[in-house]
Amino acid sequence: MNNILIKSHELWLELFMSSFMSKDMDNSKKLLEYSKILFRHFKWIENECIKHNVAYNYDRNQIPVKVDTLKTILNDIANRLKQLELSLIDIDNRDLSSRISNDIEYILYSINNITDEEVTSFDMNMSYKDIKLSQDATDALTFFLFEESYKEYELIMIYNYLKAHTKSLKLANIFETLIEESFFHFGEFAGMMSEMGILGVPRVIAKELYLIDNITEFLLSGIDEELAAKEECKKLSDAVGTENKELSKFFDFISNQENYHIALMKEALESLGYDNV
Amino acid sequence: MDSNLLEHMMQPKNYGVIENSDSEGIGKNPHNGEKVIIFLKVKNENEPIIEDIKFQAIGCMTTVIAGSIITSEAVGLTFERGDALVGATLGMLDSIPPEEAACSEMVALALKAAMDTYMERQKDSDFPMITYKILNNCATNEENQQGSENE
Repeated sequence: MNNILIKSHELWLELFMSSFMSKDMDNSKKLLEYSKILFRHFKWIENECIKHNVAYNYDRNQIPVKVDTLKTILNDIANRLKQLELSLIDIDNRDLSSRISNDIEYILYSINNITDEEVTSFDMNMSYKDIKLSQDATDALTFFLFEESYKEYELIMIYNYLKAHTKSLKLANIFETLIEESFFHFGEFAGMMSEMGILGVPRVIAKELYLIDNITEFLLSGIDEELAAKEECKKLSDAVGTENKELSKFFDFISNQENYHIALMKEALESLGYDNV
Repeated sequence: MDSNLLEHMMQPKNYGVIENSDSEGIGKNPHNGEKVIIFLKVKNENEPIIEDIKFQAIGCMTTVIAGSIITSEAVGLTFERGDALVGATLGMLDSIPPEEAACSEMVALALKAAMDTYMERQKDSDFPMITYKILNNCATNEENQQGSENE
């Protein structure tokens, strides 16, 4: 079953990345929604693994997303969807496999009807919305986007693992909200990377990052990391602020959202009985 | 930013794990827990040769770039030339800021650890993976100062 989980992991991520390659709003929205559906499948398969004590992990293969046309990536996605559908036979829970299968059938039909487009997400044009930035500001922005897009993916996977293994409804709700927040940031950064022609798939997360023994310790260091992330956003806002108000405002907004994440993590710590927050 | 550098950021080379690797090694930053693990598949004819190499990093983007570059250089090298690559990398670190040097040092030491582990396993097949700790600290002077103020 771990193999099925890996396939669905690769698929939701590939669909997610493909949604930023399309310049057509309808196509982009559609692909993003399908990625969310595949992410739900991923969670259901993970729950099935946990229920049946099947060992699993968040390993996956490299996803080759560097394409010139949307059709190329959609064909790859279609092939992977077909492979996933064939492997569903190994899931004993027939309700689950038929639910996933129904979704796959429709997504296959739908992406087959998407009109082809030229993809410029990898052309390294290094400009964002015609905003003029100095070389230093562009480099700072580039570095930030790679660093933080990975970080958001990492957080999605860690919170997802914690959510799947907690018995507390309160903690599950907090982790779910943090996952949604990280998805939003991940998407915003991926959109900017695509526009700048530097879209890249985040690297695979190392096991020891999500196999967490001590949640309290993880949350405490997570708060420190959120504070550091706030600082990075502030630095970037300052670096681009003198050159562009729109970008500066955006990074201030992201920085302020970290306050909310910190509040949620403190709430999680309180519900774990840690009272020194 | 150089397009080669961007390529390493967009699609790091040799990132991942080798199942059934012949050897593994870790380069670790004791200051913050960041680390790099290198997996080797070794072809041993007259002398050991790095046939395949993969790395995983718990660290920043600079570490991933260093891993991508150094492992690309290491593929196909004999251990003797691999040692020379480690030496050349470590030799260059004096000329760059410590916070940047730490990342490359971590990768170079992981490669050295993996080659040393392989040699030890020729004598004892159960020899555990070697870990080497770096000397450079990737925190900036400003961060170090803040850290000592908080202590």
